[in-house]
Amino acid sequence: MNLYEGMFLLDNNVVREDWNEAKGTATGILEKHGASVTTARRWAERSLAYTIKKRNRGTFLLVHFEADPGNIAIIRRDLELNETVMRYLILTAEGVPEGESELHEAELSGDFSVPEPPEDHVVDSDEEEAEEGEGATEEAKAEEAKAEEAPAEEAKAEEAPAEEAKAEEAPAAEESATEEAEAPAEEASESSEEQTEEKSSEEA
Amino acid sequence: MARPVKKSNRPCDDPRLDYKDLETLSKYLTPQGQIHARRRTGYCSKCQRELKQAIKRARHMGLLPFVGS
Repeated sequence: MNLYEGMFLLDNNVVREDWNEAKGTATGILEKHGASVTTARRWAERSLAYTIKKRNRGTFLLVHFEADPGNIAIIRRDLELNETVMRYLILTAEGVPEGESELHEAELSGDFSVPEPPEDHVVDSDEEEAEEGEGATEEAKAEEAKAEEAPAEEAKAEEAPAEEAKAEEAPAAEESATEEAEAPAEEASESSEEQTEEKSSEEA
Repeated sequence: MARPVKKSNRPCDDPRLDYKDLETLSKYLTPQGQIHARRRTGYCSKCQRELKQAIKRARHMGLLPFVGS
């Protein structure tokens, strides 16, 4: 059994409902895998340096516990799957710091009450949906507008190829005609040459 | 000529730098959130590694920024 220090970042929405429940989810996972919690206390409630899981604030729980080193990997996996624990950090500890157990006991006493966490600028799912809805209608309008323009263009496009096709046909016909016309002429000239050669050989 | 041994700005046998001590750690960050270089902190390599580890742990927990505002 080694002594560990664990820091857990808990979701303020759960903390607001019940601190002991939020605390229990973290310590419960530890105890489930054979760890014995020495101290567990609320370290701080503060705004985060960056947004984590759409939250800008969170409550930190500091725990010192003894656990079998082989079980730490299982504890980590369970913490990853838990939604109340947004972030965690487990480190080996040389000893429980001074004053830690007193703070832990102070929290267990009946007088202790957790101040309600301040409101977070959380992006609600309803707002997101509303924004998406507006976006969708705008897109739909844009598409409709395009659709109105498009048929006119298509009609033009239909006319244009017909003209092109005519234009293409005409030169093709001309070319074929000229080729045909040229071909007999060449043949004729060749045959005349042959005839002349024949004549010359005969003469010789 | 041997380079003079640089003395650390921080006694190395001090208690370890803790990731929870944000007042101390934030002194060693630039406004952009970068960790100061050793020439700026004046720490020996061992202390600088400790500082780096503590800052990175604090960043992971959302206590210190990766990129400053």
